[in-house]
Amino acid sequence: MSERIDVLIIGAGPAGVAAGIGARREGAERVVVLERDWDLGGILQQCIHPGFGLRTFKEELTGPEYMHRFIQQAHEAGVEFRTNTMVFQIDRENNTVWTMNKERGIEALNPSAIVLTMGCRERPLGAIRIPGTRPAGIYTAGTAQRFVNMEGYMPGKRAVILGSGDIGLIMARRMIWEGASVEGVYEVMSWPGGLRRNIAQCLDDYGIPFHLKTTVTRIHGQDRLEGVTVAQVDDYMTPIAGTERYVECDTLLLAIGLIPENELSRMAGVDIHPVTGGPVVNDLLQTSNPAIFAAGNVVIVYDLVDNVSDEGLIAGANAAKFAAGKITSAMRIPVKGGENVRLYSPQFVTGEADSTIFMRVTHPVETACRVFAVTDDGTELYSQRLRYARPGEMNEVRIKADKVKASPNISNITIDIQPV
Amino acid sequence: MYDIVIIGSGITGSSIARQLSKYKLRIAVIDKASELPAGASRANSSMIHGGFDDKPGTMKAKFCVPGNKLWHRLKDTLDVHLDECGSYVCAFNDDEVRHLEVLLQQGKANGSPGVEIISGDKMREKEPNVSPGIVAALWSPEAGIINNFEAVNAMIESAQINGAELHLETVATGLITEGGNVRGVSTSKGDFLAPIVINAGGVHSGEIASWAGDTSFRIIPTKGEYFLLDRSTGGTITSFLFSCPSKAGKGVTVLRTAEGNLMAGPTATEQLDPEDRSTTPEGLAEVLKGARRLVPNFPVNMNITTFAGVRANTESGDFEISALKTPRGFVNVAGIKSPGFTSAPAIAEYIAELLQEEFADLATFAPNEKFIPEHRNIPRFLYMDMAGRKALAENDPAYAQIVCRCETVTEGQVLEAIRRGARTVSAVKMMTRAGTGRCQGGFCCPRVAEILSRELGIPLDQITRHGGESRLLVGKTKEFLLKGAV
Repeated sequence: MSERIDVLIIGAGPAGVAAGIGARREGAERVVVLERDWDLGGILQQCIHPGFGLRTFKEELTGPEYMHRFIQQAHEAGVEFRTNTMVFQIDRENNTVWTMNKERGIEALNPSAIVLTMGCRERPLGAIRIPGTRPAGIYTAGTAQRFVNMEGYMPGKRAVILGSGDIGLIMARRMIWEGASVEGVYEVMSWPGGLRRNIAQCLDDYGIPFHLKTTVTRIHGQDRLEGVTVAQVDDYMTPIAGTERYVECDTLLLAIGLIPENELSRMAGVDIHPVTGGPVVNDLLQTSNPAIFAAGNVVIVYDLVDNVSDEGLIAGANAAKFAAGKITSAMRIPVKGGENVRLYSPQFVTGEADSTIFMRVTHPVETACRVFAVTDDGTELYSQRLRYARPGEMNEVRIKADKVKASPNISNITIDIQPV
Repeated sequence: MYDIVIIGSGITGSSIARQLSKYKLRIAVIDKASELPAGASRANSSMIHGGFDDKPGTMKAKFCVPGNKLWHRLKDTLDVHLDECGSYVCAFNDDEVRHLEVLLQQGKANGSPGVEIISGDKMREKEPNVSPGIVAALWSPEAGIINNFEAVNAMIESAQINGAELHLETVATGLITEGGNVRGVSTSKGDFLAPIVINAGGVHSGEIASWAGDTSFRIIPTKGEYFLLDRSTGGTITSFLFSCPSKAGKGVTVLRTAEGNLMAGPTATEQLDPEDRSTTPEGLAEVLKGARRLVPNFPVNMNITTFAGVRANTESGDFEISALKTPRGFVNVAGIKSPGFTSAPAIAEYIAELLQEEFADLATFAPNEKFIPEHRNIPRFLYMDMAGRKALAENDPAYAQIVCRCETVTEGQVLEAIRRGARTVSAVKMMTRAGTGRCQGGFCCPRVAEILSRELGIPLDQITRHGGESRLLVGKTKEFLLKGAV
């Protein structure tokens, strides 16, 4: 029989480290966090720019500084970490977790509860099927960031950035700082993918051209990238003939979206939401497999790491409660998204504790509007005025547990954002 | 000095090299690529054809069915994945059903075992996701889908184990002749002298033949574009689906690769440039249309990459296999396109016989008693059982370290690929499948590059994607800033 572990956490990024802290604080005896990299911190290790932790610590930290604080807390709380340890299989019949590590070899672990905190990965070029050749010099923004910030090498001298996700914007500035040129950032949608503050601080401040409703339509170059064709697109995202332009460059960085990484979740038999790409969860962050919890970008891609850490704490605490037999299966009241809701999580509310539903709108609302939650019997659970709502910036719906408990007969909750 | 120089190390050249390594011959295989497979052996439908599609009496018909039989044996000998899944040619109307009859007769004439016409409904019992518009299909139970990356590498490694030399990044530039006899090949890396030269130059085989003064055939480079989807789509279909062929080619096919990825393609676009492997909006649109005709819910949103291959079509439509009278010693194995991969081992056997008949005076074909038929692939962690994985990891801890998370490729596999000759990120990909998965190298490319750099003692910024000028990185960060890049 394998060693006793109360809560096993997969991935030591911000969600996993926080989950470890949450589980220990809730009283779980043995809490182990597995990490496939040689060091803790996940993607934040390479995010050496400031801008993290404004909510949590009320100061602007770099990614490694932010993580350092959490890792210290985790050590103090008695969380165990195993680095260079990859989970390659979870058996759904008995929640056995298979790990591999150079020193320990291949092991099977049977924890009382699991927290999935594997984060997300970047969409590759193939996902958007750009025609042309396949030369060197095309990287996802995060891969390029690893080369520059971790390895100390430059992927190129003259970059084009496709997509305006936050990592792409950050990397545009980083390339400029390292003496490369950035020919432009091209975004197929008519609104930016990343945060407004990153558009201002990473593009506007450096005079980097930002082209909305424009995309790369062709890749050129045999060995190394030589250039790309860009074109404007119509409302159906089809390139408009006659608007094609050749842009010389040796590097194409892609910031075209993030995908929650759920291969292990699928193996474990956890239901995956078709729109978020992450596990279906309730506000305890419990998945359809009652012993498995999930938090952070593996569930839904967040804007801010502060949210990821908060969710990690919750998932860890609830996993500890489950391990102690204090909670059982409980996907309770379903949450429905209204007309202008593209995605949201969690998808169920239990009313056990106050909770936050994170959501993104489908279309931008540039006028005063209202984000709200209403039950099927007409009870308003939450309402908040906003100056605007944009797909690139998440909105929060806060649900008070006593309000849910006060209406015991509700069968669903609808959330939405509407102009006022 | 060699006995035989083979130009081209695609599946044709590699198969010939392995077959000839059964004799005590000094063999050199040269290829301009930095990793194998390159060219048409890399980018194709990876089909092992049933043998019903070729007109009786053609070279294609002569080699396809025997080649198919050989692959069903070689898969174990060489340790190569072959999904023995069978194929369907799908007919949507009466005209196409009549065409199935033609194919059925051809199949019988060619000795293709077990071919039969079945109803659309019967096909849908096994393949529920195909179009309801399919009224009948030609079923070929012996058809299969091979892992073409593994197959080419296994074939050439087997040849190497048995004494053949492989010279990569070696560009053939001309034929050396003397008094009507072949003397060797001049290359970018010097002369390779031998009395027998085999032209297995694929899409360049026409040009190479012209060096020998043979202009009897012309290669028409014909591009085929493809979609490759995430492995999670592999349950959509379980076999190989053909459209009914037209003059342009066999039409768009939908298949599940030996690794379980859904794939669709190819187009058939004639072009002048044999090296133009770019995909095009028109080509991809055509493939998608064709794929959706066969599989209406073809999940293109799960696409992970698009690619194109260029095949060596000929005007005759057939292979061009012959030993020239002059210069004596020159052999064309040219214009090898579909069913070229299938035919390759049978062509190789034929070439070995042909050489012994024609050129017994130019080389001594004494059997190589030490010939080892078996080849073992680099261990595939993904496909091993837990006991096998544990044993592997205990024996070598590098097999307990993941490099490619999508395809579960370990550091041990990458190290073994380097030991077997991998020098580029793409070579590691071909030999281990690191980087072939859903993130397309986003995660493993820097890691593979680091391992290559460390193991080969080459600075990281000298590591290339696929050889030549395809360096991944352009310099160190601060150095770069000081030099003033812009």
